Amino acid sequence: MRFTLTSSPNSPPVSRILQRTLATTVVGAVALMVTEPALVLASKKKEAVVDFNRDVRPILASHCLQCHGPDAQAREAELRLDTRASAFADRGGYRVVDPGKPQQSELLTRITSDDRDLRMPPPDAPDKEGLSAQQIEVLTRWIRQGAVWAEHWSFVPPTRPSLPAVSEAAWPRNGIDFFVRSRIAREGLEPAPAADRITLLRRVTLGLTGIPPTIAEVDAFMTDDSPDAYEQVVARLLGSPRYGEHMTVAWLDAARYADTSGYQVDWERFMWPWRDWVVDAYNANMPFDQFTIEQLAGDMLPQATLSQQLATGFNRNHRTNDEGGSLDAEFEVEYVVDRVDTTSTVWLGLTAGCARCHDHKYEPISQKEYYRLFAFFNNVPEKGIDGRKGAAVPYLEVLNPRIRAKIAELKSRLQRLRAGLSDVEGNRPEDDSSRTEIASLEASLEKLEPRAVTQVQVMQERPGWRATYLLKRGAYDQPDTSEQLTPALPQIFGELPPDQPSDRLALARWLVSAENPLTARVTVNRLWQHHFGTGLVRTAEDFGSRGERPSHPKLLDWLATELIRLNWDIKAMHRLIVTSATYRQSSHVTPQLLKRDPGNRLLARGPRRRLSAAAIRDQALFASGLLSQKMGGPSVKPYQPAGLWKEISSGSGKTTVDFYVQDQGESLYRRSLYTFWKRTVAPPRMSVFDGTGREMCRVRCELTNTPLQALTLQNDVTFVEAARHLAGRMLTEGGTVASERITYGWRLALGRPPRADELAVLRRTLDRYMSIYRSNYDEALRLLSNGESERDAQLDVAEHAAFVMIAQTLLNLDETITRE
Amino acid sequence: MTERPNFPTEHVLDCSRRQFLTRGSSGIGLAALASLLGDEGFAAPNGEPPARSTGGAKLPQFAPRAKRVIYLFQSGGPSQMDLFDYKPRMQAEFDKELPDSVRMGQRITTMTSKQKRFPIVPSLFRFQQHGESGAWLSELLPHTATVADQLCFVKTMVTQAINHDPAVTFLQTGSQIAGRPSIGAWASYGLGSENADLPAFVAMTSRGSGLKIGQPLYDRLWGSGFLPTTHQGVKFRSSDDPVLYLNNPPGVARHVKRAMLDDLAELNRKRLGIVGDPEIATRISQYELAFRMQSSIPELTDSSRESRHVLDLYGPDVQKPGTFASNCLLARRLSERGVRFIQLFHMGWDQHKNLPNAIRGQCRDTDQASAGLLKDLQQRGLLEDTLIVWGGEFGRTTYCQGKLSVASYGRDHHPRCFTIWMAGGGIRPGISWGRTDDFSYNVVADPVEVHDLHATMLHLLGIDHRRLTFRFQGRNHRLTDVHGNVIRPLLA
Repeated sequence: MRFTLTSSPNSPPVSRILQRTLATTVVGAVALMVTEPALVLASKKKEAVVDFNRDVRPILASHCLQCHGPDAQAREAELRLDTRASAFADRGGYRVVDPGKPQQSELLTRITSDDRDLRMPPPDAPDKEGLSAQQIEVLTRWIRQGAVWAEHWSFVPPTRPSLPAVSEAAWPRNGIDFFVRSRIAREGLEPAPAADRITLLRRVTLGLTGIPPTIAEVDAFMTDDSPDAYEQVVARLLGSPRYGEHMTVAWLDAARYADTSGYQVDWERFMWPWRDWVVDAYNANMPFDQFTIEQLAGDMLPQATLSQQLATGFNRNHRTNDEGGSLDAEFEVEYVVDRVDTTSTVWLGLTAGCARCHDHKYEPISQKEYYRLFAFFNNVPEKGIDGRKGAAVPYLEVLNPRIRAKIAELKSRLQRLRAGLSDVEGNRPEDDSSRTEIASLEASLEKLEPRAVTQVQVMQERPGWRATYLLKRGAYDQPDTSEQLTPALPQIFGELPPDQPSDRLALARWLVSAENPLTARVTVNRLWQHHFGTGLVRTAEDFGSRGERPSHPKLLDWLATELIRLNWDIKAMHRLIVTSATYRQSSHVTPQLLKRDPGNRLLARGPRRRLSAAAIRDQALFASGLLSQKMGGPSVKPYQPAGLWKEISSGSGKTTVDFYVQDQGESLYRRSLYTFWKRTVAPPRMSVFDGTGREMCRVRCELTNTPLQALTLQNDVTFVEAARHLAGRMLTEGGTVASERITYGWRLALGRPPRADELAVLRRTLDRYMSIYRSNYDEALRLLSNGESERDAQLDVAEHAAFVMIAQTLLNLDETITRE
Repeated sequence: MTERPNFPTEHVLDCSRRQFLTRGSSGIGLAALASLLGDEGFAAPNGEPPARSTGGAKLPQFAPRAKRVIYLFQSGGPSQMDLFDYKPRMQAEFDKELPDSVRMGQRITTMTSKQKRFPIVPSLFRFQQHGESGAWLSELLPHTATVADQLCFVKTMVTQAINHDPAVTFLQTGSQIAGRPSIGAWASYGLGSENADLPAFVAMTSRGSGLKIGQPLYDRLWGSGFLPTTHQGVKFRSSDDPVLYLNNPPGVARHVKRAMLDDLAELNRKRLGIVGDPEIATRISQYELAFRMQSSIPELTDSSRESRHVLDLYGPDVQKPGTFASNCLLARRLSERGVRFIQLFHMGWDQHKNLPNAIRGQCRDTDQASAGLLKDLQQRGLLEDTLIVWGGEFGRTTYCQGKLSVASYGRDHHPRCFTIWMAGGGIRPGISWGRTDDFSYNVVADPVEVHDLHATMLHLLGIDHRRLTFRFQGRNHRLTDVHGNVIRPLLA
């Protein structure tokens, strides 16, 4: 057994340092033998070929680039390990990487040295993780095999791969499946059988619309034996207005959308017309390139329409500060920084923000290049300290249809009252009441009229250019005024077309152009994540050298080129994904497969994932028949525990955001995307189910599973009231026999009917609930008093209460809150 | 009678790492778990690679001096020279202009930058030395004075931020801009909980009587930032629901709830048998934990059985729910039960005007309760492994804001020096650290940056602040960013 370095028959004499080093690394290799039998096996047979991007770059990025990377300030020994030229350069008789010659490569000498002064990474740097024996072996093998260098994968434009051959020709339903199946086969696995029809229908309905299928939809699908029954369902769902609402939720997270400004007192703002623009755009299937250009630079399009200007609210959703004592200059910088971060995360999957204070440590973005990106977004006529009691400049005035309707209604009532008074001169008692009402109507109108127009923060350009400088250490008051920086792409991406001005519009157009290697990949990855829970690139926010490599690189590129080929048609991409055989697999998992692939990265089964916070609430309201179909408009305030805002507010009591005034009636039951989001006190029903904080751009959320979720789902009045109405539906629509009624409720919540043993569990306990509530009428009434809606007085109180408990059980089932 | 559901233990063993976070009865957090299972080899469920949390180190990385932290945050910026930082020379300078040599053209807020004058305002309050350590304290803090020998005063705290939102966010998250995890979330992530039935991180707020309208708080101050939301501080409130949605809804008695949970567990178990997803097993156990919390939390928040002697330590407000004193008592009860990080916020220290009156009210709220908490922990033997930190987000200015009179004055925000105190686990008692100038304006010797404070707090918990990291957006983030030094002279 020998360390791989010495196993090469053509090895030249080992250098002195290396000889000394070998003594220690051999020990490492012994340890390696124990834990890595596969690796040793491979080297005995045929040596595995190193893939630079897969195997080598992550090691260099994690362990070396901090001091030997793009950051010129932090760079040691004039060495870069992120460029081939520097790593391979002749450094006066030796090279750091000498292809084919491990013994002569200084890199290996250094990483294996036991001399503390020579050893890399330096042993005294505690936040630098040391190299493992396996990583040293990889680097060694890479150099021995000729040190093939490659651009970072995501910076190379995707080319359309051909579909790989699969042995089961009948399995693939579309292109996706060829890539997935061939990978599954390579891993020696089999795909899971297709999911049963009801499970599939519920999966795709929740996936595309965020609400479950109705019983009628289930029945129709079960009895439709046409070969394209499923495709028809998908078409129906993509055509539903619920589709746009559902897709908007994740976009609001990415766009850090909220109904308040986010700093200190956290004033209310009115960005909901922008939110409605997004819903409409999704529903109209606006191509993603247009969706991009309008949101980033709609204001700069020739003869920009109101809608195009409104779209640019995207980059004014960031927090704005108005705290007394703060400086404009400081926050003007923060807003631009936020726009650069958000835009680069959403479209490029790049962590550009790291280059704010210094050259990027891992990606080819220098600090100067960062401020050139910054310059694209630094030309807005805005103020750092703004947004007190409403919109921060610049804003667009949008007519508020709801308030305008209300004003019209009040005016006509006013007219009628006035007419009534003038008809008959007199002092009848009813005239006094008319006068009182007139006064109150006039007062209401006075209050309402200024609100008929909603001010929505949007992007605009200043006349001329506002100078942008590199900010030393990223500090607002440390501009390097020696050089004015004009907007430009980082060098790695080439140059913007010379025939148009280098401005925000040009940037937006470049983002969705064929020259950009990233947007299409990053976008299809988020679509994949939407349906499978995990993206093909797990780190959806980071496609850089520290991000994770795609699990299926060719599939990702195929999808990216498909998106472009289909003219950025997002609905078509959803259709492609959900009609694939890959998506249609059952999500049941065996212990063996679970052990082998706990995160389902190999896709040898269908996705199974807990619903989002929004979908959990919407589904409960939908199943119970409470969910409002109303779309758009100002954000509504559903149930929220009392005092939540007030207890940490400024205490002034003057602001609209110091305490929560709950709405009533239909507003309690609107879809979650229309509910009010105060940034400094996030709605608890959202944050407990892993909603993002809406303080900054987030494109991925990790799900947790906590006792607080259990408490919320059982005890939040939202869900108890939903259970009450679900119970009502079981009693009024579900037949007369207990088991039929339970079955009906089960189907409302889960789509499928219960199995006999499942039904038996609830049937048994129903009797117990009945006897409990029969003997305690008041307790039953209390249970039926949860929520503001009227109790159905036609129903027997004890029976209704007993069924509420059944409904609560249904709404709390793991399967209910999961897309299986 | 109901039975405890029979958990499918083989699945529980397989359970997601997220479950360990909340269970962690062995006191092991995610970070530690990842390192125990091997940094590279630990494949989490959902295919997430290890967070590479600790650079291969085990947590705690060395013997901790404190097992838990109680952070008594004084929101708004308490005036250091009216409470701790005794400046006798200022007495002779009343209403005289603050010399430029002291101000040095440093940034001041736009609330006072347009003032024509910057008159020096000495403290109205008398100072006296206390205990063997001879710590100088103002007459506003008679109870703190009785424990002076236990305290370590840091006179030379320095912050980068000059306004509340960025400054409080900086103190609580290590960054002025929102988005980072709070210090308690880091502790939860690094160390987990000592009590499987309670969260690792609890936050409580109270309103000051010194200032009715003041600085708001934000839930990001106990948020989890980019860490999983399990690490978010659970807010304990003074309402009927001490934890949101803790109580059963009206009309659902405990035995009815138990019947429902038994059905739920049985149906979920059946589904687990068919589907095989260990997430279901986690869900079953979380519902059971929630059920246990419904009795353990009311028991925890019910202080009716505390002895008079103990209640008296905390002062007259202790039995008024939602007061700082009541929260301090609750903090002790939480620390007894192994909660890792207990974060109190007391509002109302932002005294731009009418400072003498307002600060009297604030001290009445906090002085006795803070000292009482310390004594109570001590008599139970808990002080030696509990770290207490008391302080705000910045100090206040030497010069007067607004109208100056002999009896009243105001002070603006001052980031260049302020005082905090620490006590308990691993802290050197009876010392005063650092020196400020004669005007309590600049640090003369031994500044302590916010990152240094964080590094020192983590150190006391047995964590090297440079090695507790979380990979987010391609970067290994840490509480102290790329800064921070442990201030060793503060350690016992």
